[in-house]
Amino acid sequence: MTGKDIFKITLNLVIVYLIGGFILAFVYWNASPKIFRNNEKAEQNALKLLIPGAEFKQLGDWTIHDKHAKYFIAKKGGETIGYVIQSFGKGYSSYINTFIAVDKDFKIQKINILAHGETPGLGDEIETDVFKDQFKGKDIDHLKVLKTETTEYIQALSGATISTRAVSEDAVKNGVAFLIKTIREGGDKDVQHQHN
Amino acid sequence: MSSISTINLKDLFLNGIIKENTIFKLALSLCPSIAVTNNLKNGIFMGLAVLFVQTMVNITISLMRKVIQPKVRLPIFMLVISGWVTITQMLMAAFVPDVYAKVGLYIALIVAFASILARAEMFASKNSIIPSMVDGLGMGAGFLFALTVISFFRELVGKGTLTVPTGLSTQHVFTFINTKPVLIMVLPAGGFLAVGILMAFFNWIDVRYMKKAAHASH
Repeated sequence: MTGKDIFKITLNLVIVYLIGGFILAFVYWNASPKIFRNNEKAEQNALKLLIPGAEFKQLGDWTIHDKHAKYFIAKKGGETIGYVIQSFGKGYSSYINTFIAVDKDFKIQKINILAHGETPGLGDEIETDVFKDQFKGKDIDHLKVLKTETTEYIQALSGATISTRAVSEDAVKNGVAFLIKTIREGGDKDVQHQHN
Repeated sequence: MSSISTINLKDLFLNGIIKENTIFKLALSLCPSIAVTNNLKNGIFMGLAVLFVQTMVNITISLMRKVIQPKVRLPIFMLVISGWVTITQMLMAAFVPDVYAKVGLYIALIVAFASILARAEMFASKNSIIPSMVDGLGMGAGFLFALTVISFFRELVGKGTLTVPTGLSTQHVFTFINTKPVLIMVLPAGGFLAVGILMAFFNWIDVRYMKKAAHASH
């Protein structure tokens, strides 16, 4: 292979990659604002399902397991009725992306699993209503996972204790703890608003 | 590679589904065939995504084949594949977000498929646009067929249900048995069992019936 060949091959690769890069950049430039708006809409819909009829406003960001998550205040007719926080739990084979809705006293109203990669047939039962409904009305002191039948605490899914713990003792507990610390002890809520 | 004019386009299409079926005959791209086939809906959507990307990649490579330096063809093939995957993802996320929420996960996986690169290398880089397109459609249809069969088998045996997509963002779960009969079939290990059993089954059919038919026609 002569120097001229090397030059020709390099030039060929560079030109093809440049063209490819420009095409991708062009598509991204056109699509990204729409994608951003779609994501915002999807998030608003997810929030509305957690506390129906409420208006949501993002209070700020926080970090768990090196992942960025958001938290929101929910208002109805100008009055604060609760909060929603996004949180992650370290499961068996994935980080479980969870939304938790609490009332003004930080009692859990509803949780929702947005995304996860747990074992199909075992860990993916965290998505079922039977499992998620266990959290309704619980406070932060009643999130312990038990392998026996319980209504006071959280009952582990059979064959998926790790996934259950990841949701209850990791995602939900840490999320609610963060909310309590930030909102109750953080003082003036209007200061929080300005972080947006 | 035989000359294009002698290749019958219908045979070329069927070749990808039967004679050179990516999974059952060539045993390529086995990772996705095990990873995403734990329910029927996943298998169908993954298969459709592959069908689309395989066809578009074959067309693009075929159009570019005269300007690609043979020594750097692999990085260029990879660019075309990942480019198409990324463009498809971005356009779907922008214009059909509901559909994207369901199938976006599968499309991103396609970048790593050996079968797509293999067809670009073996066929599209040596043939003109129409045969390349038909080859892509055939190979993609074969992949869709294989994933549908595998996921049908695994979900039915492993969970006793069938999850059928009734639209791009809706689905219906039919329950046949109300327990989990052979749970291992929906776990990763069961993927190997399912692919092995089905591969043996299709090879058996091939030997038992296809060969005989070919023999009789001669």
